[in-house]
Amino acid sequence: MASIRDLKRQINSVRNQSRVFSALQTVSAVKFRKAEARVKKARPYADNVEEMMREVAAKTTSKTPMMVGRGEVNRVAIASLTSDRGLCGGFNSQVLRRTMRLREEKGRDALQVASGRKSVSFFRFRGVEIADEFTGHTDTPNYEDAREIGRKLTQLFEDEEADEVYLVFNRFESALTQRPVVKKLLPIADDDDGDDENNDRERDDENKSDVPFEFVNSAEEILGKLVPRYVETMVWQALLEGSTGEHGARMTAMQSATDNANELADTLTLQMNKARQAQITQELLEIVGGTEALASN
Amino acid sequence: MASGRQLFCRIITPERMVYDGEAEMVKVRIADGDIGVMADHQPIVSTVGIRDVQVVKEGDEREVFAVSDGFFKVSENLVQILVEEAVAASDIDSDAAENDVEEADRELSELSGDDEETQRLREELERRRLIGENMALVARRYGE
Repeated sequence: MASIRDLKRQINSVRNQSRVFSALQTVSAVKFRKAEARVKKARPYADNVEEMMREVAAKTTSKTPMMVGRGEVNRVAIASLTSDRGLCGGFNSQVLRRTMRLREEKGRDALQVASGRKSVSFFRFRGVEIADEFTGHTDTPNYEDAREIGRKLTQLFEDEEADEVYLVFNRFESALTQRPVVKKLLPIADDDDGDDENNDRERDDENKSDVPFEFVNSAEEILGKLVPRYVETMVWQALLEGSTGEHGARMTAMQSATDNANELADTLTLQMNKARQAQITQELLEIVGGTEALASN
Repeated sequence: MASGRQLFCRIITPERMVYDGEAEMVKVRIADGDIGVMADHQPIVSTVGIRDVQVVKEGDEREVFAVSDGFFKVSENLVQILVEEAVAASDIDSDAAENDVEEADRELSELSGDDEETQRLREELERRRLIGENMALVARRYGE
């Protein structure tokens, strides 16, 4: 059995860890609330860009590759969004697992774009070649970051390096649950290859968008500018949801880490008390034994 | 207004809703020139240039915003302006805007070569420069 001193040392270290976890949890909780507010504030923009995209696309006859695809898909590009830092439970691994599955489905030569240090190191470790990496922004992303990633993706499509572009990220549902989803970004017109449920909503209000818009100068011209912006916006939304999910996941992970550490400290304290009790009993027995021995002499 | 119907205007950026309220008229520079939208305007979709957006309210009171390029839509008496950046004239930090212009200028002068990557970078910097100039201009003209 471990000595009392060792146990004491262990208990102290576990209690310290518990304090660190609990502090991290508090920090994450604050960040989580901020990030959640940002997602809410950003929603009108994303919703409207998406709606405009549908309205303009419905009225144009243009059959550009961006809209209808190139017919044959030789290679796809996949952008995976993870966090820079760990300590957030299964948050990153579920996105990365989903990515690997998608790579299996779409061909292993898929161009991989990585956002977040965790995905960069994961792909390096797995020997997946990274087409481009973006790091240092996942804690509190800026629109500028989404622009960079979005541009890269649009560019890969335009340069015919990729014939389809997918985004894999954590859809934020609550602090407890983040669901990894795949969203097809390009081409726009789609047979729904992704598993993002938001597409259902699009169908609901399709009837309402029957207003005859006038397009200045032309639907094609607007579309040409709108598509890259749409890609950026989808990345932006995903980055925001990702960062909210990250803080939420870390909050939950740190909560259970704190609980576990406290439980461990309690168990160790119990052990230490038992050990101390045993030691006292032992000492008493020795004394009693000693006096008895003396008396019998 | 003769029609009796109220026009609403929303200026929306990726970060937040910058303006959301009633308007008598909204003046914007769209793809083919300036346009003034009043109530019961026909549905229209276009692009917005890097310029100012003026929201004219009752009693000729107006709010002016410096905007970056983006999109514009009118339907059912709602004007929507979707831009990356929009700042109320009175909130513009002109020093920062002018700094942006100078910085973009400096970086532009350092660019050489005309491969695709440089070309992209140049376009991006020119855009930044335009946005900065526009901010400073709008602040001078309408700020305070």
